Amino acid sequence: MNFTRRNFLQAGSAASLSAVAAGCNKFEIPEGFGIGPRSVAPPNGPFAVPTGASIDLVSHALNRLTFGPRPWDYQRTRKLGDTEEAAFAVFLEQQLAPEKLDDRGGDNAVRRFEVLQEPLGELFEYQDKYLLDALVRATVLRAVFSERQLFEVMVNFWSDHFNIDPSKGDAKWLKVADDRDVIRRHALGKFPDMLRASALSPAMLWYLDGRVNKKAGDADKPNENYARELLELHTLGVHGGYTQKDVMEVARCLTGWTVRETQRSQLGLGSVEFKCHLHDRGEKTILGHGIPAIPEKTKREEADKLGRAELATVLGIVGLHPATARHVATKLCQRFIEDAPPAATVSTVAEKFIASGGDIPTTLRALFATDAFRTTRGTKLKRPFHFIVSALRATHATTDAGRVVQDYLLRMGHAPFHYPTPDGYPEEAAPWLGTLLWRWNFAVGLSGNTLDKETKLDADKLRASFATEENLMAHLLGRTPTADEIIACKDSGNPLALLLASPSFQKC
Amino acid sequence: MNAQASFNGNRDNLKTLVVVFLRGGADGLNMVAPTHDDGYYRARPRIAIAASDATKLDGSFGLNPLLKDLAAPYHDGALTVVHAAGSEDTTRSHFEAQDLMERAGDVAGGWLGRYLRFRGATTTGALSAIAVSRALPESLRGAPAATVMRSLEDFSLGQGGDPLRASLEKLYAKEIDALGTSARDTLEALRRIEKLRHSAYTPAHGANYQRDDFSQGMKQVARLIKARVGLEAVSLDLGGWDSHITQSAVMDPQMDKLNAGLSAFYRDLGKMMGHVTVVVLTEFGRRLAENSAFGTDHGRGSVMFLMGGGVKGGRVMAKWPGLTRDVLEGPGDVPVTINYRDVLAPVLQRHHPGVDLAKVFPDYELKPEAVYG
Repeated sequence: MNFTRRNFLQAGSAASLSAVAAGCNKFEIPEGFGIGPRSVAPPNGPFAVPTGASIDLVSHALNRLTFGPRPWDYQRTRKLGDTEEAAFAVFLEQQLAPEKLDDRGGDNAVRRFEVLQEPLGELFEYQDKYLLDALVRATVLRAVFSERQLFEVMVNFWSDHFNIDPSKGDAKWLKVADDRDVIRRHALGKFPDMLRASALSPAMLWYLDGRVNKKAGDADKPNENYARELLELHTLGVHGGYTQKDVMEVARCLTGWTVRETQRSQLGLGSVEFKCHLHDRGEKTILGHGIPAIPEKTKREEADKLGRAELATVLGIVGLHPATARHVATKLCQRFIEDAPPAATVSTVAEKFIASGGDIPTTLRALFATDAFRTTRGTKLKRPFHFIVSALRATHATTDAGRVVQDYLLRMGHAPFHYPTPDGYPEEAAPWLGTLLWRWNFAVGLSGNTLDKETKLDADKLRASFATEENLMAHLLGRTPTADEIIACKDSGNPLALLLASPSFQKC
Repeated sequence: MNAQASFNGNRDNLKTLVVVFLRGGADGLNMVAPTHDDGYYRARPRIAIAASDATKLDGSFGLNPLLKDLAAPYHDGALTVVHAAGSEDTTRSHFEAQDLMERAGDVAGGWLGRYLRFRGATTTGALSAIAVSRALPESLRGAPAATVMRSLEDFSLGQGGDPLRASLEKLYAKEIDALGTSARDTLEALRRIEKLRHSAYTPAHGANYQRDDFSQGMKQVARLIKARVGLEAVSLDLGGWDSHITQSAVMDPQMDKLNAGLSAFYRDLGKMMGHVTVVVLTEFGRRLAENSAFGTDHGRGSVMFLMGGGVKGGRVMAKWPGLTRDVLEGPGDVPVTINYRDVLAPVLQRHHPGVDLAKVFPDYELKPEAVYG
């Protein structure tokens, strides 16, 4: 067998590596294969914890702008300013400039998934199941270990907004590139840039059938799938004021964009091409904007240019449309504030979205400045992904994001990249209320170290991180414990499990 | 606080769907023999079920003697056979065909998972979906909440979990919102299962479950349904149907298990069967002609069984093509004349009228079969 690096990577799960390690005491894990990455040493405890009876602004920020505080995060964040307000402001600006944050912890956590950096065509050399596993694990590991927390939260948000189910066709391979080149590249960038990247993402062209949207002859009807979701989900929103006719016209504008497929060619696999002869050259109207026909006599290059330009024209019309601003602002407010955010708050955020040309950091600054954000603390149900990641962070657990973690996420119906329809996982609380039993079981498994060898915590070290038991409680609750909580902890015989399973820890 | 009263999972009208997957490609012709069709006897001179041995259903079909106990629900009008049914898969590969049947489309998750997600109910109970197996089957992937159960022990908060549960109960009692309600439901479900675990179970109406895994699984499902823990979807597997060689040696023990498990369940639930629909399906049937080793090779159409839940039983639903050479497909297989989705769709709709079937069975134009008459 030709044991290339690639084969090794595909075969080498963390489990098999640790099996090797177990057989040889002196086995050293090479750089880059760090399991349970902790390469950036945390500061020394015991750590300061929240001292208020209700959640202060710093804890609130750690709840909502991150996937939950690690043992030292409250202390570190609180020290960023003299007042909570000042600390919050500095923290927010740090998080909005993720490239400036030292993130060796996050980088080390995903270093072994270098496959995720492979160029488009190379991705096809891997098994699709291996790619999906790598993508899921990297996603969980970054959420747990990266310092760029708000960035990861936004990656999570946009992954739902531009949801792609990678089981469809070549998206099995191409979602990796979408995650990297669309979602992660633009998560804190400009919305119109992300929208364009998504429109031309080969995975999206597969998932929503853009690749077969063509007009080769008079009989060809355009495929409206992408056009509809572009308007309904990605931009204007379902009540965004467009008509069925607009959907059809958008689809016509986008005819001719296609992807090189696995079954047809081995060259340039996954690359996106515009095929002028498959483009509908007739006149179109979108939301009242006319797009002139491309006359028969037009020179080939000129027709090609005009045909391609229609994509930019469409995205130009909808990308920063007031309805789009309202739609995106509503979703952001649902994500960061509550299921039914106040209309005035949404308007404030939407205005900033338009005024900044869809600049995501500017939009978020506006959102985090609203009273609605400031005052609704500890009231939002964490989705299962958030719950699992926050539990791992709160306890400073190690994990390979392998089988046991993925099984829990699957049982709770929230495994990354496993959602079938283009609307992405629901944000509101109701669909997730049936997951408590598994949250509780995870809390019991994690606190008792009975999950598996790769996902575990150091209970002594965790206890030593806090001066008193009550401080540990305050860390997990984001505020001082109530008398009831102290009694319940004592009675439970398993305080850590109880706190992780408690109503407060299910919320953020 | 009266936990009982707030327990959503305990609604009397809650319906349970039990899906039994016969893995390995079960031969529908050997289970429900087309005793009226000469083509069947010509193609299977050595292994066909003689009309005189078969348990007569209607004038055209008879049950394999090993499935004879299914005649009772059939003649009660509670069991329907769907024949020449299956999926559009033509690979005849177990793996491909099972995947297709469980996923029902090129989309994430399985049809059962999507059914639970898009069934039109806003919340899902803690114990709404259960797979009686070792791993979550493809069909249940993507469910808003699903668990794998090997035994009732799996529903607990670990050993010594009682004090923890009591403490959780106290903390969640202060939650007045939906989370509190959901927590109380979950705790109530745990309590009911705890009670089951500590009590012996006597099946009703003299039903007798055999000792094999399938019957024992059906028994656990019956217990959970009776305990009203909010069960809405169950998946069970019964494998071992791949009868390439000496068909009867392979299939007979499996038919015996299927027969015993289904009939014990039917008897045990009695009137409660009105709220429970059992669906039995397999990834594909077998070739019409027997092979040289007294077996049959991978084919296309097979049977499905529907039991309970108000289906109009006592009939074999089929667009029987006749087993002549011109209608056989590919290497000589019974064609699929009824797509399994068209059988499932009306059942899902009966269980949840608000279900979004287009999302459960995407990219497929449904032509629902009249399973309720």
